Amino acid sequence: MESAKIKQILEAYFEGGTTLAEEKLLENYFNNEKISGDLLQYQPLFAGLKAAKAEQSTRAFNLPETSKQKTIKTWWYGVAAMLVVAFGVGTFFFSQPQYSQEEKEALAAFEKSKQAMLLLSENLNKGTQQLTHVSQFEKTKDRIFE
Amino acid sequence: MEKTEFIALVIPFKDKLYRLAKRILISKDEAEDAVQEVFMKLWNGKQNIENYNNPEAFAITMTKNYCLDRLKSKQASNLKIVHSNYQTSENIEKKIEANDGVEMVFKIMETLPEQQRIVLQLRDVEQFEFSEIAKMLDSNETAIRVALSRARKTVRDAMIKNYNYGIG
Repeated sequence: MESAKIKQILEAYFEGGTTLAEEKLLENYFNNEKISGDLLQYQPLFAGLKAAKAEQSTRAFNLPETSKQKTIKTWWYGVAAMLVVAFGVGTFFFSQPQYSQEEKEALAAFEKSKQAMLLLSENLNKGTQQLTHVSQFEKTKDRIFE
Repeated sequence: MEKTEFIALVIPFKDKLYRLAKRILISKDEAEDAVQEVFMKLWNGKQNIENYNNPEAFAITMTKNYCLDRLKSKQASNLKIVHSNYQTSENIEKKIEANDGVEMVFKIMETLPEQQRIVLQLRDVEQFEFSEIAKMLDSNETAIRVALSRARKTVRDAMIKNYNYGIG
């Protein structure tokens, strides 16, 4: 290719006005053909760009195990937690004594009679307290009529 | 989406992502890490990837953003990305570095502002159309052309300076 054409494309290249096809042309010219004198100074640029294309990643990438497994695991955690909570609540309820209707009535009656008995004994004790005055009277009387 | 299916989808542009990451981050190790990270993100969001009509462009945008974030956080924590690319046993690398001129171009490219480096990489190395690059970088074609022109001229000027110095 004549160098005049190359120079023309090169000028457009530095202005950012070349197409991909024209850039390919430049790349081929500077990497393969005999380059005429005053264009030689541009050669390293295109050699460098070509070399840059050849670079490759050398490390294999690894992916974590499928996220499907992860969701199954968390699902099991959820189930386990729910079982623990259900067990706790269940034992709490079942440890409370269960009474039938009849037993409940009997218990209520028992409580009532217990209260009645307490009231009775309280009043009885009041009565015996009053009796101490009588015994005091007895003592004084004995002292006087000795 | 199955793992094998996903790998078949992303493998074709793995090297492109790596080259872009390396252009931005310079370090080979950092670039490899970036590619791994981007693939992880794509894999985690794989339900969406099928909805994107161009997974490659999507992955390139992700890589660019990830690398720029990485640079920013490195600068924020006042750490420089250390790269030890020069003691590599790879044949390609040796061949590249054996050529002084080529190595010089690489060095000049490292001095460009990030945005210009990215545009130069996507156009002159990966040969994307301006419209594609504009979409990837969320920019417009004119801005891309301007950035590209600046990048090419900077490389040219620095290169010619070096070239003439070498001769003189």
